[in-house]
Amino acid sequence: MPEPTGATPGPGTGRRIRRIAWQLRVVFLFAALAVLPYLLSYSQQEIAVLLVINVLLVSSYRLLTLTGEWSLGHVVIMGVGAYASALLTKRLGVPVPLSMLLGASMAAATAAILSFPLFRMKGFYFLIGSFAAGEIIRLIWKRFTDPFGGPKGLKRIDPFPDIDTGFLSIDFYEPVNYYFLALIVVSASLFVLYRIERSRIGLTFHAIHWQDRLAESVGVDTFRYRTLAFVIASFFAGIAGGLYAHYVGAVNPTRFSVDQMVYVLVWAIVGGTATFYGPILGVVVLTVINEIVLRALGLDTARPLIYGAILILSVLYLPNGLESLGPRLRTRWQRWRSGSAAGRREAA
Amino acid sequence: MDLLWQTAVNASYAASYMALIAVGLVMIFGVMGVINFAHGELYMVGAYCVVFLYAQESFPFLLAVAAGLVFVGMVGLVMERTMFRPLRDNPLAGLIASIGFLLILQTLAVFGFGRRMGHVPPSTQGKLEILGAVLTYQRLFVIVAAVLLLAALWTFLRRSKFGRALRACAQDAEAASLQGISMNQTARIAMFIGAALAGVAGALTAPLVSPTPYIGHSIIVTAFIIIIVGGVGSLEGAVIAAVLYAFVHTFVTTFFDGVIANIVGLALMLAVLVVRPTGLFGAKERA
Amino acid sequence: MAALAQRFGRGPQGSRVNPQNERPILEARGLTRRFGGLVAVNDFSFSVRAGAIHGLIGPNGAGKTTTFNVISGFYAPTAGQVFFRGLDISGRKTSALAAMGLVRTFQGSTLFQEFSVLDNVRVGRHLGARAGFFRRLLGADRRSEEKADAQAQETLAFFGLEDLADEPVSNLPHGHQRMLGLAVALAAEPEVLLLDEPFTGMNPEETGRMMTLVQGIRDRGVTVMLVEHDMRAVMNLCDVITVMNFGALLVEGPPEVVRNDPAVIEAYLGSATADGAGDAA
Repeated sequence: MPEPTGATPGPGTGRRIRRIAWQLRVVFLFAALAVLPYLLSYSQQEIAVLLVINVLLVSSYRLLTLTGEWSLGHVVIMGVGAYASALLTKRLGVPVPLSMLLGASMAAATAAILSFPLFRMKGFYFLIGSFAAGEIIRLIWKRFTDPFGGPKGLKRIDPFPDIDTGFLSIDFYEPVNYYFLALIVVSASLFVLYRIERSRIGLTFHAIHWQDRLAESVGVDTFRYRTLAFVIASFFAGIAGGLYAHYVGAVNPTRFSVDQMVYVLVWAIVGGTATFYGPILGVVVLTVINEIVLRALGLDTARPLIYGAILILSVLYLPNGLESLGPRLRTRWQRWRSGSAAGRREAA
Repeated sequence: MDLLWQTAVNASYAASYMALIAVGLVMIFGVMGVINFAHGELYMVGAYCVVFLYAQESFPFLLAVAAGLVFVGMVGLVMERTMFRPLRDNPLAGLIASIGFLLILQTLAVFGFGRRMGHVPPSTQGKLEILGAVLTYQRLFVIVAAVLLLAALWTFLRRSKFGRALRACAQDAEAASLQGISMNQTARIAMFIGAALAGVAGALTAPLVSPTPYIGHSIIVTAFIIIIVGGVGSLEGAVIAAVLYAFVHTFVTTFFDGVIANIVGLALMLAVLVVRPTGLFGAKERA
Repeated sequence: MAALAQRFGRGPQGSRVNPQNERPILEARGLTRRFGGLVAVNDFSFSVRAGAIHGLIGPNGAGKTTTFNVISGFYAPTAGQVFFRGLDISGRKTSALAAMGLVRTFQGSTLFQEFSVLDNVRVGRHLGARAGFFRRLLGADRRSEEKADAQAQETLAFFGLEDLADEPVSNLPHGHQRMLGLAVALAAEPEVLLLDEPFTGMNPEETGRMMTLVQGIRDRGVTVMLVEHDMRAVMNLCDVITVMNFGALLVEGPPEVVRNDPAVIEAYLGSATADGAGDAA
């Protein structure tokens, strides 16, 4: 290959331009996210808070699916974070931000313990096993009123403490303020998840997914890495649980039932799990459809039906999720363009 | 002693309808390799057939049960045609699609009958006394029907051409199709029978359980426990595990409480998965 | 190339090439593996000398693949032991064995088909690029990763695949995929490399190239044990050949002895020589 001359930018320049374009996009995204709540009504602001929390929930779920295992217990793990954080503040007086971290650690520890029985299974058996394990945890919350509050769960959970430094005072009871808090926590978490995937750890997760025996043969301890994925995913699900508990102020076993898990599955599958942004796309698009379109049409009770239909249709007709639409449209566009160019040449 | 005996009689009733549900689920899995997560909702639809035809429209109970059987079998055919057939090579996608179907059935039930419990008056009032234990005719009816249906199914599978085809497909779909067995036809029959068994279980027990649109959840949990313990893919294993689980669950419910019984059941299933990922009676690995 | 030799062979001064050291590097004693009622491997013993290319042959169903799977830790033996460098390794996990220096390949093109060529070899460097979780998170593993990437490139160069580093594996022709399989295994720095049917399905030209590569790997100090049906390749390549039949040892010896052994000819039914039998199989 001839060396690029001064007139044409070298590969280094191209990379720099792409990098700047990427940074610009991130800046723009955050600017949009910062403006967003001021364009929303109060109840929409509340939905936005939950949406941000759900973004973390579904993104953490994707990390687990990188190793090829699909769990049905992820929402229960989120619940472990929520219950633990709530109980730590209520019973032991642990201050809230710290309790969230401890709650997430508790969720991670639960995953570490569960991985011993669960990672003896694979595929379908893991799915069912994780369902059983999750149900057991949920039934324990339901059965033991002390300390879990039984079927009614825990109420009046301490809110995130207000910040009041004289010149700056933030009341986190306001959805706008909690939105920004959640946005910061979730962005940081997503950054960590992204870093993990881009590192050798992520490469190893993918390797286990595609050929676990080959990975094993070059020294990858697949059990350890599956456990690692499960523990990391659970930690961040626990963070999401903590954010949820101290925002809503109440948790109960029904909130973390398999019905809720179905929504996470729908988001992940409709969005697609091949890319980092796929599941985020899924949760954002479906929440917008759900909260704006369905609510406007007064179809609230039909919500599960529509979700069910979307799930079936996307499994049937969009098996790679919304994330696959962009590249697919792009190739179609290019083919159309080159096709019409060829047509023009032929005409000429 | 009396309590023990009475509990055993109650457990026999539970074993009967659980066996119907689990055998249906195993049948669908055996032929199509898909775990039907909507199986509990098929039970629920069967129960609502009785709510509608018998409790609301006052048709005879038996007719309502038969209608439930046929109707739910047809729902099964719809599921086969629209979801499981196009997704045959992808068991996980089939399972997820069945979760979608479950939501649809649940919502339709809410639309048709509301969220609250449907009340179904008993079809008979009498009861039997066996050595001091009470067994209502309503429950006896479930036991008798389950035994008859399962015996009929067993004979059908042993004797008929379909039965052989069904077993061939369950063992090796490719080899079966090479022998000229139509996979689609076999899948339809398996799906119809599997769904109809869940539907008839729901129809038969409707007067005893007060159905709600959300009853499928506890049913599917029960069915999972049974098929895992029974070895996925084994009909006999499912029946044995249904009896075993019904006794364990009924006794723990009687002497402790229902939630503990569920925890015990789930722990049992987890233990089986850990020790033998193919279940107690399952011979070879699938999926 | 010296650097390569050092890495692949864990140093040319390694004591295992020392002829005075008679202890075999890999050894099986009374190895037995049952599946239900079926005895796939039955009281089978063999030993592999360090630095050798050792062939394991036998008619179809003789238990070669099962033996490989037991040695490489996919199955635990029902009875008997496997020793690696004098250590009893029976029943240890595959990944633990790889960490000790016992690495296997797979039949056909078992690769990470969705990855690029380079990423396949990078996964092969798993053991050589260790770093803690938080170092990875903070990007503090950059130096070790750059080193691992350079080493992966070197390994690719050894196989002549360096120009294809960024290609997706699925675009590679079959012969290249087979070599890549070897490259992934070699990237794990094995002391003993177990090759599962490295020549099956190759044309004579590809087989010739592969044979040269296997010799090259041995010359770098890696002991090679292989299961293969291509009798010509086995006879030309191996120093020692173990013949299995019905799960048990039939004959062991150098190629010229094995080739003319009546029991071996008998096992490969009706053929005049083992060479012909190989083609028939």
